[in-house]
Amino acid sequence: MLRHVTNRILAQGLRCPAPPAGAAGAARMYHERVVDHYDNPRNVGSFDKNDPTVGTGLVGAPACGDVMKLQIKVDDESGKIVDACFKTFGCGSAIASSSVATEWVKGKHMEEVLTIKNTEIAKHLSLPPVKLHCSMLAEDAIKAAVKDYASRRAKSDGTPETAPIKKAADA
Amino acid sequence: MLLKKRIYSFAIQSRAIKPHIYSSSIINQFSSSFSSSSSSSSSCFRFSKSKFFGTPTNVLFTRNIEDLFVKNKHLFCSQPKSVENFKCWNCGVEADNATPFLFCQACRTVQPVNHSIDYFRIFGLERKYNIEGGELEGKYKDWQKKLHPDLVHSKSQREREYAAEQSARVIDAYRTLADPLSRAIYIVNLEGVVVDEEERITDPELLAEIMELREAVDEAEGAQSLNQIQAQLQEKLKYWSKSFEDAFLSKNYEDALASIRRMTYYRRANEEIVKKL
Repeated sequence: MLRHVTNRILAQGLRCPAPPAGAAGAARMYHERVVDHYDNPRNVGSFDKNDPTVGTGLVGAPACGDVMKLQIKVDDESGKIVDACFKTFGCGSAIASSSVATEWVKGKHMEEVLTIKNTEIAKHLSLPPVKLHCSMLAEDAIKAAVKDYASRRAKSDGTPETAPIKKAADA
Repeated sequence: MLLKKRIYSFAIQSRAIKPHIYSSSIINQFSSSFSSSSSSSSSCFRFSKSKFFGTPTNVLFTRNIEDLFVKNKHLFCSQPKSVENFKCWNCGVEADNATPFLFCQACRTVQPVNHSIDYFRIFGLERKYNIEGGELEGKYKDWQKKLHPDLVHSKSQREREYAAEQSARVIDAYRTLADPLSRAIYIVNLEGVVVDEEERITDPELLAEIMELREAVDEAEGAQSLNQIQAQLQEKLKYWSKSFEDAFLSKNYEDALASIRRMTYYRRANEEIVKKL
């Protein structure tokens, strides 16, 4: 069922993957890593939004009609991200960017993931300039997820330690 | 001496053009340079000529002087529309401002593309969002009868090139104005408001709604449920289209852009439904 949903979601992405070799003019090729994330989707799914250990980041790019949801599951004691999943409706680059983001945040501390830059994601996927905003969206999604977790945690038990994380996430 | 001849012939030409601040300043500057270097050698003339062409305040002079004779309309391109007067490159007849000047009524030659004629003017429509759809197609076909490259085989090479450009522009105009969303984006662009291509938003309500919508489309089985969602979408598009119009008329460009954002999202969702159907 998940695979079915996954494939449906990702099928919306690459509407026109690498055109046939005989195409005239400049061919816009997706980098093999982007195609890999499309063919072998990883971390697609949803966590329970109301779970106190889950932070949800929901961002969008209205000009292209993209919407990206990135969720992290945090271990309360250590502050480490133990699991992450995403759901993105948009182009192949947006899907791949959020997929890479979920891979990179796993096992890292919350403050550490806030330092993940969109340029690193873009470089990893060899995104062309026109698709750089997709990686920015992924960076925003990470920050939004961390911020959401921190604010919900603060609301529930009012611990001061989440405040610096919130400040960093707001930056 | 060659420069002298050009100044005189230009002066004659400019008298034929309606008095215009640009043309008079050109004559003045030319005549002043001419008088200042009266008895000097020809090299001095050349120097003054190049000085003019390099002056940043007179953008006109960066063009070849021949162009000033042929493409007179470029002298006016930075003026407000009321002062614009187009002249046919072929017969020299001035256009009446009643019909958009893509085509000379007198000698029936195709004119080069002029970007100051916006898409609404091409179809003779007022610059407003709520246009009547019916007349658009009729006028489009009329234009294509005059401008389409396939119908201008007997004309000169130059005219055929103009026809290709004009025809492409008219097609572009028709497509932009026929679709409500692209019309909305175009009309705010004309007012100087640009839709940011790389904008990112975090509005939780809107995004949650869109997420749910896309998930619903994704999980929908069968044509019936898809058609149901599509019907709801059309309602929403109509609502936000109206909202855009109101915002635009009251010059509330913030709200207008918000409406455009929503319409873009709904449009994408609709495209997904169409793909599935």
